[in-house]
Parts: sequence; C-alpha cells; structure tokens
Amino acid sequence: MIETDQLHIGYDQQTIVNDLNIEIPSGKITALVGANGSGKSTILKALSRLMKPSKGIVYLNGSSIHSQKTKELAKQMAILPQNPEAPQGLTVTELVTYGRAPHQRGFGSLKAHDKEMIGWAIEITGMREFANRPIDHLSGGQRQRAWIAMALAQETETLFLDEPTTFLDMAHQMEVLNILEKLNVQEHRTIVMVVHDLNHASRYAHHIVAIKHGNVVKTGTPHEVMEAGIIEKVFGIKSDIIKDPRSGMPLCLPYNLCEEQAASPIFGS
Amino acid sequence: MHSIFSGEWERKRRRRRISVFSSLAILIFIVLLFSMNSGITPLGPLEVLKTLFGFGDSNQNLVLFQFRLPRIVIALLVGAALAVSGCVLQGISRNSLADPGILGITTGAGLFVVLYISFFSSIDAASPYLLPVFALFGGLLAAALIYILAYDRQLGLVPMRMILTGIAVAAGLNALMTVLMLRLQPEQFDFVAIWLAGRIYGSTWPYVYSFLPWFIILSIFIYYRWRALDTLTFGEQMAKGLGLRVEKERLLLTFASVALAASAVSVSGGIGFVGLIAPHIARRLIGPNHALVLPASALLGGLLLLFADTLGRTIIQPSEIHAGIVVAVIGAPYFLYLLARSNV
Ligand SMILES: Nc1ncnc2c1ncn2[C@@H]1O[C@H](COP(=O)(O)OP(=O)(O)OP(=O)(O)O)[C@@H](O)[C@H]1O
Ligand SMILES: [Mg+2]
Repeated sequence: MIETDQLHIGYDQQTIVNDLNIEIPSGKITALVGANGSGKSTILKALSRLMKPSKGIVYLNGSSIHSQKTKELAKQMAILPQNPEAPQGLTVTELVTYGRAPHQRGFGSLKAHDKEMIGWAIEITGMREFANRPIDHLSGGQRQRAWIAMALAQETETLFLDEPTTFLDMAHQMEVLNILEKLNVQEHRTIVMVVHDLNHASRYAHHIVAIKHGNVVKTGTPHEVMEAGIIEKVFGIKSDIIKDPRSGMPLCLPYNLCEEQAASPIFGS
Repeated sequence: MHSIFSGEWERKRRRRRISVFSSLAILIFIVLLFSMNSGITPLGPLEVLKTLFGFGDSNQNLVLFQFRLPRIVIALLVGAALAVSGCVLQGISRNSLADPGILGITTGAGLFVVLYISFFSSIDAASPYLLPVFALFGGLLAAALIYILAYDRQLGLVPMRMILTGIAVAAGLNALMTVLMLRLQPEQFDFVAIWLAGRIYGSTWPYVYSFLPWFIILSIFIYYRWRALDTLTFGEQMAKGLGLRVEKERLLLTFASVALAASAVSVSGGIGFVGLIAPHIARRLIGPNHALVLPASALLGGLLLLFADTLGRTIIQPSEIHAGIVVAVIGAPYFLYLLARSNV
C-alpha cells in the first residue's frame, strides 16, 4: 500500500499540491483523474519519488520511500512518465532492455532471466514484429507500447503510468488497458495510472482519485466517484451518468459546459 | 522468446560492430606505421619494422624509440582521453556540443600548467609527474566556474546556456593566459605560445609515464559507468526511475571527465575539438550504447590526433604545424556544422 502524509509538492516557490493525504490500495488499479494542469502528473511523480515533496512523506508498505535506496525502489516500482524521451537510434528491444537496469550491476551483461523478462514484455505488448525497429521509426501508438514494455520489463510490484493510452487508437487503448488488467488480476500488481477517459477509469479501475487544483475532490470506487455533481466540480461539465448495460459500471455522458466555465476562458486555471 | 536476441538482425548488428572496430584498428595501424616512417631522419617501413623487432642500428633505435614512439603514444593517449571526456560530457549534459575544449576545461588546465611552469625556469626543469595534478585543479576551476555561472535554480543546467558559458569561460581564461605571457621570461613565453597552438610537447617517455596511470584509472572508472551514462541520456527523471542516483553519478562522471581531459592536455598542448568530433562520429557508426560508444570514441580520438600530429609534422618539413592547429582546421567547421544542425 502507498500512503501519503500531508504531502506538499511544488515547483520552486509555487506550490501545486497542498496537504495531500491519499491511499493507494495494494493489488488494485487506481486511476487519477482531473483536468489539464490539475496536478495529476505532479502527484504521480511525488508518489514514485521522482519529485521530492517540499513537505510530507510518502510511505510504501509502511516505510518512508525517501530514506530508501533509489535502486531498491526501482525494483519495486516502475514509472512511465507522460512524455518520455529516448536517445536517437535505439531499437525497441534495446529500449526495453533498459527496464532491466535496476537488476543489473557494473559491467554485467544480460542474464537468462533478464532476456526472459524482456521477451515477455515485448510479447505481451504486441511489439514482437517491431522488436528490432528504431523507436524513432514507429508510430506514436507503437512507441507508447514500447515504453510500456520497458516499464513492464522492470518487473515491479507497482506500476505508475502517466496517460498510458494517449496516442493510441480505440483498439490499442483497450489492448493496453486489458494488459494492465491482466497483470493486476493474474499477478496482483498494483497499478496507478492517469487517464483522461472517465469511462475507462470507471471500467478498469477499482479506485478513482478525482483531483482539482492539486486537491482531492473525491476518492472511492467508480460508483462513488462517478456522480454528476462531482464531475461538474472536477471538470466543469454537465453530464448524465448512466449504467453500462454490459458491465454495470457507471458511464459518463457529457452534454454541456457549466455556465461559469462556458463564460470564462477554458484554458485558465 | 529468446530469438529477438539471436535473429538475423542481431547478427547483422554484430557484424557491423566488428567491422567498425576492426576498420578503426586497421586505420590506426596504417597511420602508426606512416607516423613512424616520417620525420627528419628518413626511416623506411622496412627499417621501422626491423628496428621495432630489435634489429636496428643505434641511430635508428634512438630516432624510433626515443623521439618518435613516445610522441606517437602521447598523441594516441591524449586523443583517446579527450574523446572519452567529450563523450561523457555530452552524455551527462545531453548536448552534442559539449567538449572539454569548447567548455574551457582544457584552457583552465593549461593556465595552471603555465603557472606551474613559470615557477621553474622552463618546462624541462619542471617535473612532468606533477603536471597532471596542477592541470586537474585548473580543469576543476573551469568546470566550477561554468557550473556557478550557468546553473539555473529552476531549470538546472540548460545545455545551450552551459555551452555559451563554457565558451565565455574559455575566452576569459585564454585572455588571462595571454596577460600572463607578457610577464614571463622569453623561454616560458615560448612555452605558452606552444601550449596555445596545441603542440604535443610531452614527447619523451617521462610524459607518457606521467599520464598513463591517469589515463588507465580514469578510463576504467568511466567505462564501469557506461550503463549510468546510457540511463542519463533518457533524462533525469527516467534515470531516477530506473534506479540511478542521478546527482551522485553525474558528479562522479563530471569529475572523471574533467580529470581525464585536464591530465591529457597537461602533456600535450591545448588541443580542442577531438572531444567533439570523435564521440559524434562514434555514435553515428555504432548507435547510442555507451558500452560501445566509449571505446569507439577512444579509438577515433587517438586516430584523429595521431593523424593530425603526423600530418602537421610532415606536410611542411622541416618545419611543422602543431597538432592543435591541424585538428582545429578540421574541427572548427565540424563544430559549426553541429551548431547549425542543433536548431537553437
Ligand atoms: N516543471 C515545472 N515547473 C513549474 N511548474 C510546473 C512544472 N510542471 C508542471 N507545472 C505546473 O504544475 C501544475 C500541475 O501540472 P501537472 O503536470 O501535474 O498537471 P496534470 O494534471 O498532469 O495535467 P495534464 O492533464 O495536462 O497532464 C500546472 O499548473 C503546471 O503548469
Ligand atoms: Mg500530466
């Protein structure tokens, strides 16, 4: 389980997140939702120790992550940032191989188990046919799957993914989410992801954290969070919530912007 | 599943690596032979081989073992050191324009070498074994200046800002060296002029012995960190996510690359651009993996400097053009080409 205790996170003087207390249950899929600029990526980075909070503590299974070795943490949590960058000319297999970095030392070369994990990650993300292509020669969606494969190769209990489904077409979005679901169901991995599609969050996540201006507006199961009032508050849109006839989960059908949102510039904070 | 590591494509890659490294080795061997042949005392290829295997007369022995070989070894080592240093600086700053010469690290080292030598009457009176130590302080001074001047509290070390600051630091230290020149004895004055022109002055065995331990230790230290260098090219956050202690590794690598470049130019003149060109070509030939880029850069750097020195030594005999100038003639346009491509 990941917990935060009065977390304050900011860039320089500017505080983005104030007094954040959240719990990420182990072995579950948690979705962070919220408008652009609401602080989702910032929170994800703080949870995964990529950003140091200005105040407060993040606990992983009861012990503070700030006092743990970063390499040890890298064996427990993998992070896929929102806009990852890779050196030019790297192939998919090479990229995925770097996911094994925390498990390697010194001059060392790949062990059988490393190769097995790399092969598995490439296979499960459907990147087999592109395995030897340079990643700058891939489409946005293929590239995204290569990065996911890299995170998977890290073989960690917890996965943090910042918008893993952007750039993907509908089928591939579903494919990625199905992979994550499978990892969760079969291997009980903890998955924390930022998603923009509320209906994906509702369908795939056990736990949703809705964020506005760096504050948690509501956390809970999809049934608890997917309410017209909460969605209006978090996103500034009016919507109907209906029941998905197949899964029984709530679906959000937006029909208009709220008055004050419609009147003021959307892109303001 | 393992077939992604043993397929046709992987074999092709391995062939390519082998061909790159063997071509470099062959090229170095050719330039080496040519370099041993050429000079004021004529020594044909056969005579060179004869002498190398111990069948030369005393004069041939003297020319080859005391004059030419140490200079060749220094050129190879210094070229390799500058290339590796540039490769590391480029890796940690994620900027293909970083180079110990452009950043003023070699000038800082040179300044301290000059200060050290001006304590004595001439370069010959000064112990070669202390040269790298003084050079190291000079190199670190330049690096610290760049860091202090270019560091932005919000953005960290912005690559372009770092390069521009480095150029300014280099210019400042050069000016300081020129001022110093005016206050020196004629003999020391000559030394500074030679240093600035990049002549390989450390052309006797003691200079080789003085530099070799630095070269070996620092190269191994850096090569041991090839994975850290790879990971750093993904950017700070990704590197951290992969378990790298980013600040610590970056500091260690900066220190090692500064020490390597500084100790290198303490036995040669102020030679620039090798650290810029060699890693760039190495990456193009062999891809981004530092386990391969580092040795390929070293070979290319050694080849480049040996070639420049040999060319400078032979092209207008009996006079000579210093290696630093030859390298600059090739390197400056290359720098401009990279600058134009980096769309800033
Ligand atoms: N490196 C940075 N320096 C300063 N401010 C930043 C930085 N990164 C983000 N911010 C600011 O922090 C706030 C939260 O950004 P964050 O990236 O966490 O939002 P987000 O919820 O992930 O948005 P999006 O959906 O667009 O990805 C924004 O106002 C943003 O401008
Ligand atoms: Mg974001």
